[in-house]
Amino acid sequence: MVDINVVEAKGTARPKRVIDRLGLAMRASHVLVALFVVAALIFAAVGVIQDDRFFLRLGTEALIFAGLALSVDILLGYTGLLSLGQALYFGLGAYVSAVVLKEVPSFWAAMAAALVVALVIGFLAGLIANRVRGVYFALVTFGLAQVAARAVYNTRSLGASDGLIGVPVVPIDLGVITVMSNSPAGFFLFTLGFIVVLYAVCAYLLDTPFGRVLLALRANERRVPSLGYSTRNLRLSAYVLAAVIASLSGALYPMLRGFVSPELLFFTTSGNAVITVVIGGVGTLAGALYGGVILTVLKSVIGSLTEHHLIVIGLLFMATVIFLPKGIMGVVRPLIERMLRGGKR
Amino acid sequence: MSVVLEVRGLGVRFGGIRAVDGVSFDAESNAITTIIGPNGAGKSTLFNLISGMIRPSSGKVMLRGVDLTGRPPYLMQRAGMGRSFQITNLFFELTVFENLRLAAQRLETTGRFLLPVRRSERALARVHELVERFALAPKAGELAGALSHGEQRRLEIAVALATEPSILLLDEPTQGMSHSDTADTAALIRDLARDVTILLIEHDIGVVMDISNHIVVMHQGRKLAEGAPAVVRADPAVKSAYFGHA
Ligand SMILES: Nc1ncnc2c1ncn2[C@@H]1O[C@H](COP(=O)(O)OP(=O)(O)OP(=O)(O)O)[C@@H](O)[C@H]1O
Ligand SMILES: [Mg+2]
Repeated sequence: MVDINVVEAKGTARPKRVIDRLGLAMRASHVLVALFVVAALIFAAVGVIQDDRFFLRLGTEALIFAGLALSVDILLGYTGLLSLGQALYFGLGAYVSAVVLKEVPSFWAAMAAALVVALVIGFLAGLIANRVRGVYFALVTFGLAQVAARAVYNTRSLGASDGLIGVPVVPIDLGVITVMSNSPAGFFLFTLGFIVVLYAVCAYLLDTPFGRVLLALRANERRVPSLGYSTRNLRLSAYVLAAVIASLSGALYPMLRGFVSPELLFFTTSGNAVITVVIGGVGTLAGALYGGVILTVLKSVIGSLTEHHLIVIGLLFMATVIFLPKGIMGVVRPLIERMLRGGKR
Repeated sequence: MSVVLEVRGLGVRFGGIRAVDGVSFDAESNAITTIIGPNGAGKSTLFNLISGMIRPSSGKVMLRGVDLTGRPPYLMQRAGMGRSFQITNLFFELTVFENLRLAAQRLETTGRFLLPVRRSERALARVHELVERFALAPKAGELAGALSHGEQRRLEIAVALATEPSILLLDEPTQGMSHSDTADTAALIRDLARDVTILLIEHDIGVVMDISNHIVVMHQGRKLAEGAPAVVRADPAVKSAYFGHA
């Protein structure tokens, strides 16, 4: 006891404010996302001046896939669950949105439908997938997505292997202004705003006690029950949240492209989302946005030069894992954290 | 003194062996009840049964008159049970502060679960209280994985205590500690017993005799004897089964 008192006295001599490292890291992510938004706005301005269509639409696609990557990061980076089937929800959102838009060209109806379907399917599939852990969880999520992809592929009324074409242009009524989904700059800016909102929702939730227990789950699942939390319910909640984020992102896809195809549900989509998060930085959220842009641009640029763009992406992925195991954010974010801490240390 | 925990005929079988076999005892409020016994006697398994980590095949666990038998660990915690582990079981990649904050956040109202963590003022106050009490204040910003063994063992107790349990189960808290750390920890546990009922597993017989109010001796899954330290020490059956080998 004597010893303890001595340390205590030393410790209280100058009470040091304890830094909440996780909160600090999240604020650093906010800064990086703000920078991302500034860069995207400049990009949009240049696009408008140049009267560009191609790059603005490519940028929009990058943002949509960044939304999918966000959902992967919630699971992989914050809950410690590797999903190899997140395309299930992305594709689900895309198909639901396409089907609704072909019936009623209402943006909000499409979004509401994508949300409800993701909640229901996410909950049911989550009950199945969360019965197992680790590698088995990865395999079950993979399997569920494969089943869904096959089912869509073989369903005539969903366009089978051709997918659904002829999704109409939709007006997106935002109250103050209405954005048309076929306006390259307008829809780019709308998508940017939408993905930033998704980011903000994820970042908010992950910085609450709920989000912190998800991190605890990733760090040491065995200790979590003795803190008074049901690990099953937590994992299920994270899974459903990720399903919703992926589905809402996917719902924008047919608005951009005017069609959906079964490939959206294939393993390449799920796998690319995981690669995106790893390149961007696992467990940072901001990394999903940067990674999404990098991967989409690479796919397009390299894809126009060579048919073997998958080889290049594979090599890039391996190089990242070996040389930057924490991804781009793993290098950049600590610098921002130090800046935010400023003179306090 | 009132009875906080009642254990009645608790037992479990692993394959052929009865790891714990019909064990009954009471733990009284604000006292230290210590379980002793040779390696493999079933002490940790008994803790696992009490805290719900293993489902008992027979018997009952009652906390403050409420039958909790068969509930999962997270409900046991909510009913007021806190426990530490024989093998250090922390969030090693999170800071000391965050380990304690995670444990303390159950003190908050449910509504705070989806508000930013800085709004959990009660949990944060609890963390500051605990880092002082456990002499971890200078280390609060460090990763739990970077602490010394002794500090990790201390944090292990602090995490279990953070939830303000009505009974605290400590599984060999001094395991692997140096002589002086063991003495400090024993004094700390003695001090904790002023506010919380303690159920302890401890190998250091000097510590056991010094701080226990009541001792339960286990041998091959069964309760061999129980009583005050002096009574247990004098028991011939205990002498041959336990002290005989020491
Ligand atoms: N999950 C399990 N499955 C099978 N056997 C087990 C299991 N857990 C414990 N045992 C066995 O039950 C017996 C009691 O083990 P337990 O860990 O409870 O002993 P202990 O009294 O805590 O010993 P120690 O002092 O070494 O910590 C041992 O024979 C052990 O091998
Ligand atoms: Mg043991």
